[in-house]
Amino acid sequence: MTAITQTLTNGQRAGSGPKPLAEMLLQYAGWLLLSLLPLVLVWNKPYWVNIVAYSYLFAGLAAAWNIIGGFGGQFSLGHGVFFAIGAYAVARLYLDLGLTPWLAIYPAAGLASMVAVLISWPTFRLRGPFFAIATMAINEACFAVANYADRLTGGPRGILIPFRASVANMIFIERWKYAVLTFGFMSLVVLLTVVLRRSRLGHYLLALREDEDTARAAGIDVLKVKLIGMAISAALTGAGGGIFAMYVRVIDPPTLFALPDIGVKFALISLIGGIGTIMGPVVGALLIVPVENFLRGTLGGMVPGGHLIVLGIVLLCAALFLKRGLVGAFTAVLRRYWHGKAP
Amino acid sequence: METFLNILISGILLGGIYSLVSIGLNLIFGVVRIVNFAQGEFVMLAMYATYFCTMHLGINPYLAALLVASLMFVFGLAVQRAVLQPLQTEPMMQIFATFGLLILLENSMLAVTRGEAFSLSGAYSSVVINLFGLKASGVRVVVFIAATAIAAALMLFLQRTMPGKAIRAVIQDRQAARLMGINVERAYLLTFALGTALAGIAGALLAPIYTLSPYIGGNFILAAFAVVVLGGLGSVPGAYIGGLIVGLIESFSGYYVDPALKQAIWFVIFVAVLIIKPSGLMGQVGAEEVGLREQS
Repeated sequence: MTAITQTLTNGQRAGSGPKPLAEMLLQYAGWLLLSLLPLVLVWNKPYWVNIVAYSYLFAGLAAAWNIIGGFGGQFSLGHGVFFAIGAYAVARLYLDLGLTPWLAIYPAAGLASMVAVLISWPTFRLRGPFFAIATMAINEACFAVANYADRLTGGPRGILIPFRASVANMIFIERWKYAVLTFGFMSLVVLLTVVLRRSRLGHYLLALREDEDTARAAGIDVLKVKLIGMAISAALTGAGGGIFAMYVRVIDPPTLFALPDIGVKFALISLIGGIGTIMGPVVGALLIVPVENFLRGTLGGMVPGGHLIVLGIVLLCAALFLKRGLVGAFTAVLRRYWHGKAP
Repeated sequence: METFLNILISGILLGGIYSLVSIGLNLIFGVVRIVNFAQGEFVMLAMYATYFCTMHLGINPYLAALLVASLMFVFGLAVQRAVLQPLQTEPMMQIFATFGLLILLENSMLAVTRGEAFSLSGAYSSVVINLFGLKASGVRVVVFIAATAIAAALMLFLQRTMPGKAIRAVIQDRQAARLMGINVERAYLLTFALGTALAGIAGALLAPIYTLSPYIGGNFILAAFAVVVLGGLGSVPGAYIGGLIVGLIESFSGYYVDPALKQAIWFVIFVAVLIIKPSGLMGQVGAEEVGLREQS
C-alpha cells in the first residue's frame, strides 16, 4: 500500500514521469555527503570515530538487508549467515592464501550469494512470519555448524587475524581510515539500491511485496525475482562481513551469529530509519548504533543486559507507533505541509 | 538393544517436553495467525515464577503450576490487548513486536537475576522411575503424562464446548465465523491467553528439570517451531505427535551423530518438511502461506 502511493507521488511530482537516474543518483550522493557530518564532528576523538565507522558499516549492511527485506518484503532474520560467510571467507583467504582482503571480498560475496540461493530456494515457499522463522532457524543451525567445524572456522575460539598494518592488508592504525572505508561501502550499497529501486527488478520486488498472488498473475516469476533479490542482498552482506572481519580482527561464532547484534539488528535499523526507503537504513544506523554504544557503556555497567532492555522497548514501540520509520514519518509530515500550502 | 530402548525412552520423554511447549504456540498460531517469537520467554517467565513460589512461598511446584498458569493467562490477556490487537492486520510488524518482547523479557530477567543461575533440582529430579527394567527420570515422565493429558483435554475442549467450537470456526474461516455471530476478537483474546497459560504450565513442569537461565527460552522456541511446521500449523494433535517425533529424532541423532549439531538437525527437519509436505502431518493445506492470507 505505502510503496504504491510513494511511487505514484514520485512520478507525479515531476509532472512528466520520474526523474532521470543521474539526477536521482546525484541527489542521494548529496544525502550521503551530508551523512559525513558526524564523522567530521568527532574527527579528533578516536572513540567516537570508531563508533561512526561502525555506524557506516551497519548502515551499509542494513541497506543490503533492505533490498530483500524492505523492497521485497521478505523479512529475513538470517542475514547473519551471509555476514558470517563473508567474514570467514575473507579471513581464510587472507590467512591461508595471503590474498589481499580487497580482492578476497569478491569471492566471499559470491560464496555468500550462492549459499543464499541454495537455502532460500526451499524457504521461499513460506510467506510472511513463517519465512522469518525459517531464516531464524537457518541462523541457529549455521551457528551450531560453525561451532562444530573448527578446522574451517576455528570453532568456538574463533579466528584471530594478526595486526599487520598496511593498505594492502586492509588493516590501519588510524581509526578514521576505517571510517572512510566503511563510508565507501555504505555509499556503494546505497547508490546500488537507488539503481536497483528504479530497475525492472526493483519494481518486481515491490509488486510482490504488495501482493504476491497478483504479481504472479501479472506474469512475474515470483520465485526467480525473490532469489535474485536475495542473491544481491546476500552478496553485499557478505562483503560487509568481510570488512567487519578485517576491522575487528577477531571473529567467533557468538559474535557473528548473535541475533540481537547482527541478524535482527539489520532489520531493526531499517525499521527505525524506514523500511523500504533508500536513506532509511543510513538514518537508522547513525541513530541506533551510537545510542546503543552509549547505553551499553552507561546502563550496561549498572544493570546486566540494560541496553538490550532499551533495545527491546524500542523495537516494540517502533512496531506499534513508527511503522514507516523516521524517514517515512518525516516525508509524511513534509508532504502534508506541502499539500496544505499549495493544494 | 538395551541402548536402543534407552535412547527410545529418552527420546519420547524429550518429545513430551517439546509437545508441551509447542501446543500453546501452535494454538496461538492456528487461531490468531500470529507467530509468537516470545513464546519461549513466556515459558522462561513461568519457570522463574515457579521457582519463586517454591523457594520463597513454599508451594509444591506442581501445585504452583495452577497459580502460575492463571497468572500467565492474565499476562497473555494484557499482551494481546496492548501489543498484538493493534497489529492484527500487519504480520510484519507482529514479527518485530514479538521479537522486541523476546529481547525485553530475556534481558529484564537477566537484570533482575543479575546472571545468577537458579535450580530447583535436588528433591524432584533425583526421583527415578523404573519402566520395565529401564530407568527414566520421574520429572520427565510427569511432563510426558501432562503433555498427553493437555493435548487430550484441549482437543476435547475444541470439539465439545461452545467456545471451543467458536475457536475452530475461526481457524477455518474467520470471515464466515464473524458472519455466524462469533465474536472473533474475543476468540483471539481467549486463545492467546490460553496459549500463554499453556506456556505457564509448561514452565512450571519444566522448572524442576532445567537449570534456570534467562536465555533458556531459546532452547525451546526453535524446537517448537520445527514441531509446529512438522505437525501442521494450527493443529493440536499435530503439535503433540510432532513433538514426540522431533524428540525421537534429536535423541537418536544425538547418540549416533553428535549432540552439538541438534540445531542443525532441527533445521534439516524443517527444510525436509517444507520440501516434501509443506502443510505438515496434520495441518490445513496452504496454511504455511499464512503471511499473505487475507487478514480481516
